[in-house]
Amino acid sequence: MTPAENIPHAVQRCWEDVQEGEPLPTLHFPLTVYRLVMAAGANRDFNAIHHNSAYAQASGAPEMYANNFFLQGMWERSVREYIGLAGVIRKLSGFRMKVFNTVGDTVVVKGQVLRKWRENGQGHVEFEIRSENAQGVSVGPGRIVATLPWRAGAGVTPA
Amino acid sequence: MTNDWKAAWQPLVDAVGQDFSGGPQAPGADEVSAAAIRRYLEPLEFDCALHYDAQAARAQGHADIIAPSTAIQTFSLPPMWQPGQTIFTHAERDAQPAHSALSGLKTPLEPETSAYLVTDYEVEYLCAVTVGDRLRRHGAKLLACVPKETKVGRGAFLTWESEIRNQHDAVVARMRTTWLRYNPHGATP
Repeated sequence: MTPAENIPHAVQRCWEDVQEGEPLPTLHFPLTVYRLVMAAGANRDFNAIHHNSAYAQASGAPEMYANNFFLQGMWERSVREYIGLAGVIRKLSGFRMKVFNTVGDTVVVKGQVLRKWRENGQGHVEFEIRSENAQGVSVGPGRIVATLPWRAGAGVTPA
Repeated sequence: MTNDWKAAWQPLVDAVGQDFSGGPQAPGADEVSAAAIRRYLEPLEFDCALHYDAQAARAQGHADIIAPSTAIQTFSLPPMWQPGQTIFTHAERDAQPAHSALSGLKTPLEPETSAYLVTDYEVEYLCAVTVGDRLRRHGAKLLACVPKETKVGRGAFLTWESEIRNQHDAVVARMRTTWLRYNPHGATP
């Protein structure tokens, strides 16, 4: 990968550009066995419920399912594609996994700008975000708070 | 009689507010590396130059490539195996390792359970994690213990509060994690 290929961040969004109600990029994550095994190796959540169907079913789940680190990463990617390289993720809350995200399903991450405000010299933005699958909302809806840079010349010094 | 399983959790319910960490915890298995960050990105198809391009990261004021915020738990996990240990002791298809860094903190006050999963998580990120950092968990305060029967089995929701610190003892994040520890329906506790 090269920076030139980093298309989502080609233009930095500034705090002044943010509109309440604006949607986050909708992302699709098809969950194959291959991908769940890659995720376990990458984020080191080797709990067998995430890569072994028989083991997951013995634990009461319908199938092997995505681990929470992987699901968190999906939310981060969605917010990062909106806030760009200069944005900073400050807080995540309401990350409630209420339905298993099982192999063979697709997780769809959706969100929107809930509100924006200035605090301690920084431009804050709060996003509402959720994951959906064939069963409906599977994670959240939760919140992520991030800070974005001011537009050049805005006359406010970031903290 | 039917609520005996709930009564078994009462000692832990009574311990809400207590810190069970028992001192410093084992550090993450490795320093945060560009290679490990790159692998974290792969299953997410997460194309963000802060996480693979040092020049782009420096342009944003970071000393080097930074880890995704959500990777802090991954990088604070102790090793799955250490020299001198034998963790793979059985050949059955679904046999589990004798020891796992993933299973979270188990106290002597709780009844035996055979399964667990994480249900809720919240975190405040206080500073970026950069290549070369070494993370560790700090503290393990029990905030809640709620026995409950769910569709997967009988057990309890346990909410823990802890921090993640780096090699300079700076707090990188404060987080609360809720685990469901349970015995699946039909399983022998």
